[in-house]
Amino acid sequence: MFYKKQAITLFSGLLFCFTTVQISAQTDYSNYSKFSQRLKTLQSQNASNSKLETLTTTVGGHKIWTLTLSKGDAKNKPAIAIVSGVDGMHILGPEMALQIAENILKNHADVLEKTTFYIFPNMSPNATENYFSALKHGNNGNAKSTDDDRDGEFNEDPFDDLNKDGIITFIRIEDPTGNYILHKDDNRILVKANKNKGEVGKYKFLTEGIDNDKDGNFNEDGKGGIVFNKNFSYKYPYFKPGAGEHPVSEKENRALLDYLYEQWNIFTIVTLGPENNLSTPLKYNAAGAKKRVVSSILKEDAALNKFISDKYNKITGTKDAPVSTGKGGDFFQWSYFHFGKLALSTPGWWVPKVKDADKKSAKNSSINYLNWAKQENINNAFVDWKPINHPNFPNQKVEVGGIPPYKMINPPYNMVADISKKHTDFILELAKIQPSIVLQNLTSEAVGNDITRISVDVHNQGLLPTHTEMGKKSRWLRKIKVALKLTKNQQIISGREITLVDSIDGDTSQKFSWLIKGKGNITIEAGTSHTGIDTATVKLK
Amino acid sequence: MKINKNIFKSLLLVFLFPLAIGAQNSTEIFRAAGSPHNPKVQISFNRYYTSEGLAALGKKIADAHPNLVKRQSIGKSALGRDIWMLAITNYKKGNADRKPAFYVDGNIHSNEIQGGEICMYTAWYLTENFNNNEYITNMLNDRVFYIVPTINPDARNDFMKEPNTGSSPRSGMIALDDDRDGKFDEDGYDDINGDGSITRMRRKSAHGNYIVDPQDPRKMILIGPDDIVTTQRYEYLGNEGIDNDGDGRINEDTHGYYDPNRDWGWKWQPDYVQRGAYKHPFSLPETRAVADFVLAHPNIAGAQSFHNSGGMILRGPGAQEDLATYNRADIRIYDAIGKKGEKMLPGYRYLTVYKDLYSVFGGELDWFYGSRGIYTFTNEIFTSFAYYKKNGGGRNQTYDFDKELLMGDAFTPWKEFDHPTYGKIEIGGFKKNFGRATPGFMLEEEAHRNMAFTFYHAYHMPNLSITDIAEKKLSGGLKEVTVTIKNDRLMPTHASQDLKYNITRPDYVSISGANVVAGMLVTDDDFNVTEEQKINPAKMRVRNIPGNGVVKVRWIVKGNSKFTITVDSEKGGVVSKRSK
Repeated sequence: MFYKKQAITLFSGLLFCFTTVQISAQTDYSNYSKFSQRLKTLQSQNASNSKLETLTTTVGGHKIWTLTLSKGDAKNKPAIAIVSGVDGMHILGPEMALQIAENILKNHADVLEKTTFYIFPNMSPNATENYFSALKHGNNGNAKSTDDDRDGEFNEDPFDDLNKDGIITFIRIEDPTGNYILHKDDNRILVKANKNKGEVGKYKFLTEGIDNDKDGNFNEDGKGGIVFNKNFSYKYPYFKPGAGEHPVSEKENRALLDYLYEQWNIFTIVTLGPENNLSTPLKYNAAGAKKRVVSSILKEDAALNKFISDKYNKITGTKDAPVSTGKGGDFFQWSYFHFGKLALSTPGWWVPKVKDADKKSAKNSSINYLNWAKQENINNAFVDWKPINHPNFPNQKVEVGGIPPYKMINPPYNMVADISKKHTDFILELAKIQPSIVLQNLTSEAVGNDITRISVDVHNQGLLPTHTEMGKKSRWLRKIKVALKLTKNQQIISGREITLVDSIDGDTSQKFSWLIKGKGNITIEAGTSHTGIDTATVKLK
Repeated sequence: MKINKNIFKSLLLVFLFPLAIGAQNSTEIFRAAGSPHNPKVQISFNRYYTSEGLAALGKKIADAHPNLVKRQSIGKSALGRDIWMLAITNYKKGNADRKPAFYVDGNIHSNEIQGGEICMYTAWYLTENFNNNEYITNMLNDRVFYIVPTINPDARNDFMKEPNTGSSPRSGMIALDDDRDGKFDEDGYDDINGDGSITRMRRKSAHGNYIVDPQDPRKMILIGPDDIVTTQRYEYLGNEGIDNDGDGRINEDTHGYYDPNRDWGWKWQPDYVQRGAYKHPFSLPETRAVADFVLAHPNIAGAQSFHNSGGMILRGPGAQEDLATYNRADIRIYDAIGKKGEKMLPGYRYLTVYKDLYSVFGGELDWFYGSRGIYTFTNEIFTSFAYYKKNGGGRNQTYDFDKELLMGDAFTPWKEFDHPTYGKIEIGGFKKNFGRATPGFMLEEEAHRNMAFTFYHAYHMPNLSITDIAEKKLSGGLKEVTVTIKNDRLMPTHASQDLKYNITRPDYVSISGANVVAGMLVTDDDFNVTEEQKINPAKMRVRNIPGNGVVKVRWIVKGNSKFTITVDSEKGGVVSKRSK
């Protein structure tokens, strides 16, 4: 017996070493098959605290993974959902989600005593594969065939790798009818000419390719696909390329929502994607909040967002994030405006501002990126402009070049571990302040004639409220139930057997009292799925 | 002896029965104008059918008319029932999948049952009148009807078989937590008096606001502020039910509740904005099945859904916020059909949902039109006008109608019961099949008139023909070919909503068998104004063929070979013509 235990400990120790080695051996982002393998390995090494399930298989044949981290019954604890790969070009997101899961399981497993994590690491596996393909192009759709320009023909005008470098960048054409000029601070970068400043356009500036269908538009209908982050119901971009024919049309979008709707214990959803309300909280707009179709964060939730945002900025030490609140059809806004949950989102990383000798940074984000890449000694941050022959512009100077896709939204891989660690700390802070209902100050006193008065405080000991202001309106967040469990021979003289409470603020309580006639013990239960449920028993006097 | 007689009777019945099912001897009948006089399939249209009943009738019609009907399940309901669709056309003429299609469904709200019977009547009428009536024969030669009698089969059965009010379930049967206590459908109705309907509870009360009408014990009279009450006062206690879950409330979490007609993917809003919405657009298997079917059938140009009640012919927008979607050109077409409907359906009014009914998101008719560019109406079947064929009869006429024309069949008389919370109460009231559902003897007329309205709508889907192929010799062995394509009905091949967003692909007008040098759209024949199509001129892309209008396409061809012109429109069908 003793021997066996020792062996298990030894084995676990070996496993630990093995995984540590494996993590440090990781030198670049992982493609679908490697990423899936890493998920499976992580799960099998932490089998008692984790579960890996397939939510659905996409049209392209990729599995959508759900990794659940929990000790014991997952559904009985408040839960944090982490959703990444919402944008297929954001390769960082899935990697962060996986590393956060690793950090929790390896270094912070104690958090699982009170909190469950549902992690959906990559919602756009077909799109993220583009990053690893021989031809890198910034496409974030799934594998469904789409008529992006709605002309009745499918995929008739894709990108073309004109300079054969395996990367789809841009073309610039010297043309007096063009609207672009070279940036005065860096002539590799093109910007729109501003007529009001007396600037005259000299270039056409297009994505790399030819007008295959000769309709005057370039690369407007390639292999396309439907974009996960454009297929949700809040401000859905009807008839726009990548949006699909209706909201939540795609298997992966639908499977995720159907799953989330069944997990009544989720109190917050953290999206690792392009939108960011963690660096800068969403702003309350009274007119938008009052409309029937609400278009502003509600007032209480704006304050809550600020409270959490302050924590985020402090814990991660990040700053200067570009503002990004969602373009419509996105998952982040859905998770708040249509699901009513505490909705948080961050890209995790953005290009830091580089200051020159005068402590000024470039206003143009591309130039700032090039300055940063130079400072960090990053190679291939720019494909230098090189002339080519272009069939659509036979007698004009056409050059291919520009910043390759992915570069400006994904950091070099060696930075990811630190980013993930800081974000793990932030996620752990969320767990620490989660809504948590407990019964306090339970008393019973004899009133006489076989009647007992019972009093109790139903207390939310977390700093977060049990419900967002939006969540109070949503049928998809349960109310806090305060219930007496009566036995035979016990009768309520005053008070209700079951009371439903809309919400209790952070570190706030609500008093209850009953008059009960009878003898024996009586049990009180308070809470709901996403706040935890506490029970207490008291003897009738 | 007695026993033998019974056996004989039974045997006689067994032998006679098959004869009774088949058509009647032609010498025994005389055709009433406008109705199939000797149908292959006999159906009684003075009663309602369960989901299984509708399915069985659909199968009978399909089996009896194999060249006119293809029966297909377009999906499964939440509880696993097939959602049956009858695709009706003359399959011996043309390509059925390419004919302009008219979609009809019923019963999205489970208690609004007439749609099932109207759909069935329509299928029956089309099949039994084909080759007997020229209008119907032409209709099935040129068009295809997709008829789905019930898109809520689970709850249709619940409405009919389980105790309900005339207004429940309305929802489908997926359990939901209406009071947000963590339990699902735990406090539904209770049929205390066992009449199969959920009627009302009343109690004698010294402080009640009602008395029993001394002239009609079925009726309750509200006591006015100046009334002197000399008789027993009563109070209403709501719908029949008890507090099943002990939370101090009655019937607060019944079956459902969500509204399948808030589940459609045009400007959908969640439950807190639009009460009744489920999880996300097309989160219900039934609406999803219809949406997938419609997306797979771009030939659908017109659609109709049946609800009850109130006597309304409704068009969108459902929501005030969606007002801009419905533009003037399309509203003109809606108006023409809707106003005709008012004439065909006495007592019905042609109305706009958001301003005349309520402002709602996620409705079926808005998705059909907004997302697919399909002209769609919803009819609210049955109106109080029908009781005595006049308006303004007031509430009392329902009691009169029940007594005078239904022989008292629609009302459960008040009777005393013991209620666990309220003590001695009385239960009674109108049954679930009265008030919204059309009474039996009026059902066939209601079905016929509504069907005729859908035929008018379907008739005005685009109808294309190539009316002229003009050839003119040019120098150098070239020839100018000008083709005129006519649409002689009200609807264009693309609604203006469709054109705005390129919902349906352009119509293709192609020439084959000729050596094409150039192709162009003629925008003004008199002044020779044309728009050249530079790429693939043999297949001209025409954005739209307007209603009651023509389009001209011109080619410059080399040589003198014969050629064929083909017009291929998703919503307008396919027509071809060979040059002379």
